[in-house]
Amino acid sequence: MPLRLQLLPWDRPLLPQAVELLAQDWSGEGPLDLSALLVVVSTRQSGRRLREGLAARAAERSQAVFPPVVVMPEGLVARCGPETGAASRLESLLAWARVLQEIDPGEFQEVFPADPPSRTFAWAVRLAGRFAALKTALGEAGLRLADVAPRAGDGFEEAPRWRQIAGLERRYTEKLAASGRADAQDLAMASVDAPRPPAGIRRIVVLSVPDPMPAAIRVLEAHARTLPVEVVVHGPPGGEELFDAWGRPGEEAWAARELDLAGFEQHVHLCADPSAQAERAVDCARAYGDSDGMLAVGVADSDVLPFLEDGLARGGFATFVPEGRPFRQEALFALLEALAAVARERSFAAAASLARCPDVLVFLADAAGPAASPARMLAGLDELHRIHMPATLRSAGPHLAGLAGRFPGLPEAVARLAGIETALAEGAFPENVTGVLAAIFGGRRLDLARPGDARLAETAEAWRDLLRQIAAAGPLAAGLATNDWWELVLPLLGEERRFGEKPPGAMELQGWLELPWEDAPHLVVAGLNDGRVPDAVVGDPFLPESLREKLGLKTNAARFARDACLLQALAACRAQGGRLDLLFGKTSAAGDPLRPSRLLLRCPDTELPERVAFLFRPAGATRATLAWHRAWPLRPREKAPPRQISVTAFRDYLECPFRFYLSRVLGMRAVDAAKTELDALDFGDLCHGALEAMGREPSLRDCTDAGTLRGFLLAELDRIVGARFGRELALPLVVQIESARQRLARAAEVQARERAEGWVIERAEWRFPDVPARMLGGLAVRGKIDRIDRHEGTGAWRVLDYKTSDAAATPRDAHCRRARRNRAGENVPEAACFDIDGAGHVWIDLQLPLYLWALGQEDAAGRPGEGVTCGYFNLPKAVGETGVSVWTGYSAGLHAAAMRCAAAIAEAIGAGRFWPPAERMDHDDFAALFHHGTADSVAAESVRLWEGRP
Amino acid sequence: MTPVGNVMILASAGSGKTYALTNRFVRLLACGVPPERIVALTFTRKAAGEFFDEILNKLAGAASDPERAARLAREIDAPGLGCPGFLGMLRAVTAAMHRLNLGTFDGFFARLVRNFPLELGLAGDFEILDGAAVAIERARVMRRIFAGTGGLTEAQRAFIEAFKRATFGAEEKRMGFHIDRFLDQYQEVFLAGPDPLCWGHAERIWPEGCAWLEGAGNRAGAARSLRAALAGETPTDGQRRRWEDFFAVLEEWTPGGPLPAPVAYILQNAFKVWSDLKTGSAGLTVDRRRQLLGPDACRALVAVVGAIVGAEFRRRLEMTRGIHAVLQAHDAFYHEFVRRAGRLTFADVQRLLLPAAGGPRLGAGGKPREDQGADPRLFIDFRLDACFEHWLLDEFQDTSFGQWSVLQNLIDEAVQDPSGRRSFFYVGDVKQAIFTWREGDPRLFREIFEHYNSGAAGAIREERLDRSFRSGPAIIETVNRVFGAGEVLRRMFPAAVANGWGREWRDHASAHPEIVGQAALLHADDEAGRFARTLDVLREVRPLERGLTCAVLVRTNDAGARLADYLRREGGLAAVAEADLHVCTDNPVGTALLALFKAAAHPGDAFAWEHLRMSALGTAVEAEGLASPDGLTLRLLGGLHTDGFEQTVEFWLRRMEPDFETGDAFSRQRGAQFAAAARMFDATGSRDVDEFIRSMESFTERAAESASVVRVMTVHKAKGLGFDMVILPDLEGSRLDQRRDGLAVEKAADRSVKWVIDLPPKLFHDADEVLSAHVRREEAESCYEQLSLLYVAMTRARRAMYLVVEPPGTSASNNFPRLLTAALGEKALAVPVGRLALPGSFSTGVPGWHLGAGSALRPQRIEAAIKRVETGGVRRRMRLPARRPSDTKTGRVSGAELFSPACRQAADFGAAVHALFASVEWWIPADAAAWMVAQRRAGADEAALSEVLGCLNDPLLAPLFTRPPEQADVWRERPFEGVLDGMWITGVFDRVVVERDDAGENSKRITVVDFKSDRVEGPDEILRATERHAGQLGLYRRAAALLAGVSLARVDCQIVFTACHRAAPLPPCA
Ligand code: SF4
Repeated sequence: MPLRLQLLPWDRPLLPQAVELLAQDWSGEGPLDLSALLVVVSTRQSGRRLREGLAARAAERSQAVFPPVVVMPEGLVARCGPETGAASRLESLLAWARVLQEIDPGEFQEVFPADPPSRTFAWAVRLAGRFAALKTALGEAGLRLADVAPRAGDGFEEAPRWRQIAGLERRYTEKLAASGRADAQDLAMASVDAPRPPAGIRRIVVLSVPDPMPAAIRVLEAHARTLPVEVVVHGPPGGEELFDAWGRPGEEAWAARELDLAGFEQHVHLCADPSAQAERAVDCARAYGDSDGMLAVGVADSDVLPFLEDGLARGGFATFVPEGRPFRQEALFALLEALAAVARERSFAAAASLARCPDVLVFLADAAGPAASPARMLAGLDELHRIHMPATLRSAGPHLAGLAGRFPGLPEAVARLAGIETALAEGAFPENVTGVLAAIFGGRRLDLARPGDARLAETAEAWRDLLRQIAAAGPLAAGLATNDWWELVLPLLGEERRFGEKPPGAMELQGWLELPWEDAPHLVVAGLNDGRVPDAVVGDPFLPESLREKLGLKTNAARFARDACLLQALAACRAQGGRLDLLFGKTSAAGDPLRPSRLLLRCPDTELPERVAFLFRPAGATRATLAWHRAWPLRPREKAPPRQISVTAFRDYLECPFRFYLSRVLGMRAVDAAKTELDALDFGDLCHGALEAMGREPSLRDCTDAGTLRGFLLAELDRIVGARFGRELALPLVVQIESARQRLARAAEVQARERAEGWVIERAEWRFPDVPARMLGGLAVRGKIDRIDRHEGTGAWRVLDYKTSDAAATPRDAHCRRARRNRAGENVPEAACFDIDGAGHVWIDLQLPLYLWALGQEDAAGRPGEGVTCGYFNLPKAVGETGVSVWTGYSAGLHAAAMRCAAAIAEAIGAGRFWPPAERMDHDDFAALFHHGTADSVAAESVRLWEGRP
Repeated sequence: MTPVGNVMILASAGSGKTYALTNRFVRLLACGVPPERIVALTFTRKAAGEFFDEILNKLAGAASDPERAARLAREIDAPGLGCPGFLGMLRAVTAAMHRLNLGTFDGFFARLVRNFPLELGLAGDFEILDGAAVAIERARVMRRIFAGTGGLTEAQRAFIEAFKRATFGAEEKRMGFHIDRFLDQYQEVFLAGPDPLCWGHAERIWPEGCAWLEGAGNRAGAARSLRAALAGETPTDGQRRRWEDFFAVLEEWTPGGPLPAPVAYILQNAFKVWSDLKTGSAGLTVDRRRQLLGPDACRALVAVVGAIVGAEFRRRLEMTRGIHAVLQAHDAFYHEFVRRAGRLTFADVQRLLLPAAGGPRLGAGGKPREDQGADPRLFIDFRLDACFEHWLLDEFQDTSFGQWSVLQNLIDEAVQDPSGRRSFFYVGDVKQAIFTWREGDPRLFREIFEHYNSGAAGAIREERLDRSFRSGPAIIETVNRVFGAGEVLRRMFPAAVANGWGREWRDHASAHPEIVGQAALLHADDEAGRFARTLDVLREVRPLERGLTCAVLVRTNDAGARLADYLRREGGLAAVAEADLHVCTDNPVGTALLALFKAAAHPGDAFAWEHLRMSALGTAVEAEGLASPDGLTLRLLGGLHTDGFEQTVEFWLRRMEPDFETGDAFSRQRGAQFAAAARMFDATGSRDVDEFIRSMESFTERAAESASVVRVMTVHKAKGLGFDMVILPDLEGSRLDQRRDGLAVEKAADRSVKWVIDLPPKLFHDADEVLSAHVRREEAESCYEQLSLLYVAMTRARRAMYLVVEPPGTSASNNFPRLLTAALGEKALAVPVGRLALPGSFSTGVPGWHLGAGSALRPQRIEAAIKRVETGGVRRRMRLPARRPSDTKTGRVSGAELFSPACRQAADFGAAVHALFASVEWWIPADAAAWMVAQRRAGADEAALSEVLGCLNDPLLAPLFTRPPEQADVWRERPFEGVLDGMWITGVFDRVVVERDDAGENSKRITVVDFKSDRVEGPDEILRATERHAGQLGLYRRAAALLAGVSLARVDCQIVFTACHRAAPLPPCA
């Protein structure tokens, strides 16, 4: 049968003409029956638009359509293969991966000149993807890997490499054959030249397909022997010679052709970056409001797409992306990834991440009954981590009972998590995953009318599809470990696309190749940059351009011709009464410089310099730089001041009264999710615990033997560590506990010496008794003194506090500092200022003075006399500096000044005075709250809340 | 035309480096070189983009204007060339745009690696990690190293050992923190020299031996001897106390730790009389007096000092080895999980290409096979479809040795090409080498020149450009006075620096003597004063109003931010700090959003919750009914898992924005920036809230460049830029010759790492020749770089420059203010600037230079508007909303079914059932056996077969399958399209029987049959299922009526439940 090329003139849009063409024999009576027609179109969206057009056409006559069979060129080729026996994508990848793992790379040195580092399955599967892609690329021209070397001709530099690749392909084919499969493409390829005649089809129309793959043309050629095949192009009236017999724009004709883009400078727009492009398109959409059908937006550069979607969404427009979205972006995918991580790592951290997948969260919380709180469960996990830092779920077990009171349901939830972990690690793939998913979702009922549920169901379906492929993979899959399965399956699911349905009234954001079918009068195309339109392959590890040419694969020249033709068609069909605007960017979102499409330079030579100057000018500033502005002032809650206060809190108040309010009154404490090791407080607790036990132990009271003391302290440390962290310690803890051991060992020596010098520990960990309360400025003061020593010779008393900070501190430096020159700027309470020998000083801590004060109120029996001294027992990082550091020069005057300050603070706290705040902090835990000044960050009308009761 | 040849250009600031480079490109084109054969590389993407624009604009200018053509022709030494010639080149370049090789080193290298993955040991394609992504990967790796799964592994134990050694003597309790620090500071050193023998091995550092190490023996013993020897001496009380302190703390001191003051004191003084001590008689200063030491005391003191220094050195060596072991262990993990998984940094990419022993080298082309055994080469011409003949390298002083090593082979081929068909051209300015901290290696400039020229004299031609096209005479005069002041430089700096600078220096000349301007040195007391002075000058000159571009250059981003803030606040000026802004955290909107995510992911985070409550976002959260932790957690985690972070952020921004003040464009902008950052994070695929938060916290964005503001930026960022007026108010600082802290890394001539040591404190390293020589070298390099920094800063101005410094007074530091006052003038003057008289000590040019400058702002191009197409008179088609009737089954699915393989089987089974029904046109029971055989042969499913057969043979269903007496058609599995109620309907009929009248013309009756293979039993279930499918079937009924041309009343609709062989009629339509 003869091939017929028919040209639809491009002064009118393609779609209505195509519809007219297909319906030309229809009388309008009865249905528009096109079921004996096979139509080849270039994209999924083109087919959709065509069918919609046909339906609308029939509706004009109150009729409906029996639609034609619509396929894309790939589909045409795929139809050639038999219905059974083709390997799934998963099987193909598995076969490749197995081959790559089995071969001796030495035999394939041309392919692997460098020995691959270690041929893990992950490596193999990544490479498998590469070879599979290569096969697909060659398949376009109906070639196999083995065909490359022979076809490339004499003098082909890489022939030895390709011969070895062919060897790999042979092994791959054999591998598939061994389990009764064959490569799907190879199967189809076998019959492209003699395809089965399509059932019930009497006519074929190739409808504006500018670059059908060569293999598809071979199929069409075969069909043309028995059926009429028409090729339809959209082109300039009388321009048939610009196309070849299959409707492909001729490379030479289009390379030289000048494109007619009238009013160039009014219609081509330089934008700084993707967001500027989006902004312009959105402005345009706004101008039309909701007048449907007038404007269409195309996106030639997928980089711009998300910006456009956001911009339109913000402008109140619904959007739809016909090319679909990968499942990688779905919630279920994230859940599967979290499961894979748990299977791989079996760590507490991985389990905690899994718990934060919403579906899992609900499932876990549910363990404690329907009224359980997911949020409390998460808070419980965080608390578990904060206190016990378990490395694994298993090692968390012993600590759960202790937390169950505050976090009801936590043990049950953790048990469920552990169940998941065990199932994943110990079961066989994919049954283990299926079981876990069934458990997680078992209690749910999905309502497919809800978009979220529908998406879940769709993703689940894709997952089930993979399961089916796994089940079918049989011997190919034998012996694959769970972790390897994940490596294989997750990317497969992730790359799959979800198309969804276009919501009513949504604006379609179509890709470049879909635009010829768009018939809106006004078309705005964003992303018209070189490399996108026309796209170009420059350099390729396997198929560089020169080789593509030789093999008959699609070349850059062909792409140029296709895109030149498309662009001209888009412009031409809007020349009368419509409008085409082309946007291109100066840089990508990542800041890479971009160039305008080469197509825009297809103008007469005389215009070229001007065009270049126009297109390659600098882009204006992206956006104005705006002066910093506060979006809102903060309005912290009001909360009654506390009735009691701990000794250590004074330091905070002195640092900043307002931050004191936030942390100590409002209780603002952050969760440190990134915590991987003990913080300073944890570390101090460990050391304190051991030292206190030593102080309480009667048998050690008179011990002067460092060895005995050391033995006790270290055993005590081990006991505390065991109780709090269990046996399985995370690596940093091992190091930190080692550090604690060193410090304690040295402390034992110091203690032995101190005892030998006559100091006896009278009390360890002495808490201020509540009755009678230590009252100050109307507040009860609470505290705990690490130890109180008494000298057996002199009877002198001293109060000591253990310090485990990195550097040894002297009590005086830790309690006060010199006042700054400019006192006004300090923002410290007046009561904190005092003079030593005429030099101004400022209290920064009151701990030891308050201890002495508390002790001074002790009743007569235990009352230490006048000469009580105080100081630190330092256990710093440099163990050489371990020792007692007494506050020398602590005088009655100092004490009085300190207590004046303490009383004033207590009084201020009691009165609710927490203002003004400090403006400059060395290290500010509240930096997230305060921008450009602490006081300025707070709402003026709130401030009076903290100025205190009169 | 003369052959192009190889050229090195030393181009001083403003002398037209880019001009020379673009001219070179044009010249190559003029010689007929195809544009894609030229490789032109530079450092930043921005520079690369501008380079290309400039070539095109240059060609476009010459192609359209004969005068410009003539000038360009002259410049490129191609006198015959006119407009048509340049037009031809313009065409050629634009046509080859996609094949050009103009770009950054990084981009070029990435392309090479992409084309040789297997050759370089990669599994496939790779992605490039940026800084934030690296941080995330590092945290993940750390998690893996730290994670225990019951007991420590061997590797973990080794890691702990290594860590302990690295931090020896100062046990560290913050492991993660320190490892992070090691990685930040030393990872690159490690990767450049991973060989453990380079790290902390005495033989490498002191090949001749190190006397100190030999004396490292018994410190306590030596101390005892010294004490004994001193017992004979009769010092003063003060001296005795000094010695007692010395002995007391010496006992406590651990090597590697801080040296206690009493020990340092004695050591210091001992070094001063070291040679005397060695001879056995010395006067040691102790407590400000000389103490005479006899032979015993001298010997003992030498031994003690030796023992201290020796112990310190040993400890440092050991710590260095420990650091190496930590880095190595970390890198092993990192390599396994990150690089091997195809996630590489640009530095990794470059390292892959480095020719290691036995590894591949790059080759331009030619015969690939023969020499491969000895020297594996990657021949790039075929894979890249490219043939590189000409090399143009920009900013060569910033090229690293690694970059050069990658390219060296290729460039060798070009330089040594006997035909002269290929060439090498490099341009730069060693005086502007301010990126040595990024591995820039200015020494290469000369080395390469000498290397090639020693092989063949004149292989590379040297050219110099010292005429500034940027700066006017006032600026140039000042620059010459400072940087040509050989005597001052020699006085202030090490000889190596002063001489090195002098060798490169040529007095500059201004190519624009007509420019009127001023340069002045102004004084101020402190930072506040310098800022105020800056504002004074800006207020006087008012550059923006006069259309002058203006920059204030600073040394650190912090200073820039403070200054810009000051100028805006105090001066009301449009000033912008062009630093990297933390746009997600520098404002309340961003931090509140982060608090929202924290509160949701960590409901126990009281900080985040209170933060939220006290912010306006909290109000929005409440308005959404999410004030309870459960509500917020489920909603937010649910939303971000389904839609990603960005959409979640967008949602809340839209809730917040109504609360912003009307004029608050800033907060809106920050909101948009936050969303954009979230979008980038989404692209990583991670849904981890903590990773998200960390990534947002570290996200930075460069403030936009704009001509209409006062730009405040660091000197580093200003490199390559020019401004009408420049103020330099941040030149204070310590000595210029300070080495950077950290490990001492000694490199060999080929830049390979020779040795590494964790440098002991100054007191110690001064005592050792090898170490002190190393430190002196580093100090000299640093000093040279600092001079370069000042040079860059002072050469940015076109017309006016104001240097604002605190007069150095008596401070001993050789810093910028000291250099400037020494070179320009120390005597206090009242410096006139316009109508002001400011304290200062130097001025040249015209104080009122700005008064004549007009308000000649370059007219901004008005972008063409996108006009609306008027609706009237235009043919447009409404788009029909689509409906797939099969979607109308808005069923419910149980979660259990969702993942069960059985579910999939149900679908397969359904498909099989449908296919079997489709194979039956009319059922003739007698043919049943034959039908069964045929279906079995086609591989039909047995269960489906028996179910379908059951239906076909069921008398109740028979009418649906039996040929009616009248003429009839059957549609089987037939797709249809139509428009109903303004909706576009698409569907597939399972089976439709169309009965026609006798003439076969008009349809009399239609039966639509739909098969459902759900497991439905009993009348109740059938009823419910029928209801569920009613919507779909209703549409089918209407479509069938339309297609067959009958009224609805004549369409009968039957749902066949295949499991129970029951048909249920759809009630007729209303
Ligand atoms: S029966 Fe079909 S639609 Fe329903 S859950 Fe199973 S596969 Fe999905």
